This record gives sequence, structure tokens and C-alpha cells, in this order.
Amino acid sequence: MENIFLDNSALLCILQLASPALPVGAYSYSEGLETLIDTEIINNEQSLKHWLEQELHYGAIRLEAAVMVRAYNAAKLGDTKALSYWNNWLSAARETEELRSSSWQMGRSLIRLLLQIQPQIAQNANAVGNPCNYAIAFCMAAVGWEIDLSAAILGYLHSWATNLITAGVKLIPLGQTAGQQLLLQLKTNISSAIKEILALEDDDLSSCGWGLSLASMSHEIQYTRLFQS
Amino acid sequence: MQTQEILPTWHGSLNLVFEQRHDRTALIQEQVQAPLKVLRPFYPEGSKICHSVILHTAGGLVGGDRNDLNFHLKPNAQALITTASASKVYRSNGLQARQNIQIKVDTNACLEFLPQETIVFNSAIYRQDLRVELAPGASWISWEITRFGRSARGERFLQGEWRSHTEVWQQGIPLWIDRQWLPGTAEIINSPHGLARQPVVASLAWIGQPVSPEIVQQARSLFPHPSFSGVTRLTSGLLCRYRGNSTTEAKSWFMDVWQLLRLSFLARNRCIPRVWQI
Repeated sequence: MENIFLDNSALLCILQLASPALPVGAYSYSEGLETLIDTEIINNEQSLKHWLEQELHYGAIRLEAAVMVRAYNAAKLGDTKALSYWNNWLSAARETEELRSSSWQMGRSLIRLLLQIQPQIAQNANAVGNPCNYAIAFCMAAVGWEIDLSAAILGYLHSWATNLITAGVKLIPLGQTAGQQLLLQLKTNISSAIKEILALEDDDLSSCGWGLSLASMSHEIQYTRLFQS
Repeated sequence: MQTQEILPTWHGSLNLVFEQRHDRTALIQEQVQAPLKVLRPFYPEGSKICHSVILHTAGGLVGGDRNDLNFHLKPNAQALITTASASKVYRSNGLQARQNIQIKVDTNACLEFLPQETIVFNSAIYRQDLRVELAPGASWISWEITRFGRSARGERFLQGEWRSHTEVWQQGIPLWIDRQWLPGTAEIINSPHGLARQPVVASLAWIGQPVSPEIVQQARSLFPHPSFSGVTRLTSGLLCRYRGNSTTEAKSWFMDVWQLLRLSFLARNRCIPRVWQI
């Protein structure tokens, strides 16, 4: 899985799908970072990097990406029953109400957009129905545009990291260059995490969720905040 | 500790079936295999609610040990199940110790499964799988309190692995999936993402009915320390998490939340089992 070969069309499509310009509102969520920064648990580039690395190797994003592998394969086979199963699974596995609703909101926005620009997803989208998690909608789009599985997951992890680094740059605050430096350094972690993710069996789907759960639960009641619950 | 290497492994099992008959919840079936035991059921709050206490007579689990527990509550049955003492999972000889709990709660029945805490020794390898089949109209409340390392003597969970997978399903749809994993490493127990240098984690879940924001607010106000605790809503219930240094603190908050939930959803006060020695 060291190398991915994409044709021009698939490369352009994953760039579009993983772009912060995709109008799904990703920028309005901080996944608990706002609380962690407010309480100074994360207060510099190093502590932000540590948090993102832990997420990639042990956390909710690793679990989500592992579910995406299953959802992607289901969407590709047109196995709508399995696709729905993993969508429900992901909804039930969300750490908090805040994280569940943000994933549903972004899923809803992406499905609405895709029905306009990529109507072939309709069958999968209708089978899953509402609520649809963002990660599941992302898989439908990737399959529809014939983006290779690893490229799709890499793209998803890249857009997740970009979004949280942007939140960190704004909130800590960090310089723009520091943010880009961090994103570049995370490359190694994303590469090693995806190997672990692709190898996980259903029985191994698990995560270490204490830090994220508590941060997000606390963000649900944070008094002043820039980011949505 | 050396002697553990030569201990034989245990496979304990327990199968309890509860049925409601004439306004009384009776334990109608009981199959038990040592080292698990169950005390004679008792009724400290009237005949409707059957209290059962489970005992593990071997003192704890070692690598290779296995416990299988099955609870089935037939329609309208009301049961509270707890354990006689804290559970221990000893340092592993390389093998995993496992506990499997299968729970079936039929229509309008309610199970309160409130075991005492588990102490996971450094180098323990432990996995628990708890699966609940919840019929529509049924409800389930449970907590899990875990201490990593015998922290009173300075022991930390630097080696080993802990997994606790909890799933609640209703007619083929998952209501809550909580697949917790904690590899014992200095990185994870020190990281704010993991244990944040705290030895105790705990979760309480109530599932069966939607919970109002007011109940969430009340559950929070019972232990208002956001760095150590949090409360959120599940699609059909409530979830509380604790990460701190005291099993007593976690238990005491959970007992207050339990009281709140009992008054709000079950129209009864809590009734503290005597084995908890509080």
C-alpha cells in the first residue's frame, strides 16, 4: 500500500472531495479542540501534534476510518444492507451527542450536494437514508468517482487533519507556517496509521476514547465558543 | 506472583433467567459453574424487584481464565444485579483473561447491572464483551468502573492490554457501541488523549428512552468537575464518563445519577445493596 496509482480524473476528484472548500461546514467543528485549548491542555504546536498523533493511532478517527473501509467496500458492491449497517454502527459508536450531530450535519450537506453533482449515488444514499454520517457519504462519493480505497481514506484523513490544524492555528494561536509544518510532519503518522487501519479485523474495531469524550462533552457546555456543538 | 504461572485456568459460567409472576420477579433458572456463584435472591425493596449478587470465589482472573455470564429478563421482569466485591485481573502469563456477558431484556423489563469496580493489575491482558439485546420498551442501566494498576502501591498500567466492548442492540439496530481499548504504555496513560495520568476510568449508561436536556444538566450538576467528568445524550439514553483518581468518587457520582434516573424513569428511589458496604 506504499504506492497508489490514480488516473487524472480520480486524482482531481479526491482533491475536490478532500478540499476545505467542499461546502459541508467542516470548518465550524473543532472536535473538542476548542475546550482543550481553552483549558491549555493543548497550548502549542507540539501538544497539538501529540493529540492528532494519538487520534490517528488509537482514537476515534482511526475507528471511523476503519468503518469507512467497510462502507467503501459495501458501496462498491452495491451492498446497501451492509452500507446501512455500518452507517448505523458509526452513529452508535460516536463518543458524544455533539460529535454525532456534526457528523450527521456534514453527511446531510454532502449527500445534498452529491445528488446535484453526482446523481449516481442516489441508490446508495436512499438506501442509507437520513441520518447519514459524513464518513459514509464520503465513501459513496469516492466509489462513484472511482477513487481507489486507500486514496479515499488518505484524502479523508488529510482533510480531517487540515481542518483540526486550521482550528488550532486560529485558537492557540499558531502561525500559518507552523500549521503547514505540522500538516507536513503528520504525513508519516497518516501513512503508518492507514496501514494499521486497512489491516483491522471487525473484532479489532476499538479506540481509546477517554480524552476526546471528555473534551467534547465539556465543549457541549462551554460558555463562549467559536466552534459549533 | 510467581505462583500464578502454575495455577490452572478457570472457566466460570452463570445463567440467570428472571420472570415476572403475580407482581413478583422470580429467578426461575439458575445454572452456575465455579468459580462463579450467585447468592440467594433477595427483595429489599419489595417483590417487584429481584436483587442478585454474584461472587467470584477464585478472587480474580488470571490469563487464560474465562467467565461467561448470561442474564435474561422476561417481559416486565425487574432485576438488579451486582457483585459481592471488586474484581481483580492479575498480571498475565501471556494469555488473555476474558469475560463475556450476554444480556437479553424483554419488553417492559428493566435490568440494573451495577457491578463493583475492576482492578486491572499492571501487565494484565483482559477483554470484556458485553452485549445487550434490548426489546422495545425495555430499559437497561449499567456502569463499569476500572482502576488501572494497584495505584495505592504506586503501580501503573505500563504493560498489558485492556479491552471492554459494550454494545446495546434493538431489533437489529445498534443503540450504543462502546469499543474501548487501552494498551498499557507510558505514552497512553500519561497522554491527555488517554488516561491523563489518572488511574481510574468509569462509564455509566442508561438506555431505553430518550433523555431530556434537563436530565443531562442535572446529571452534570451532581459532579460539576468537567476536567474529570462529562455527560452526554445517547440517541436513546444517557452516558456519563469519569476519568480521575478515585473509584469511590466515581461510584458516589454514579449512585447519585442512578438515583436521578430511578426517580425520573422508574418512579422509585435507589436502594443501595448492602454488599457495597457504603
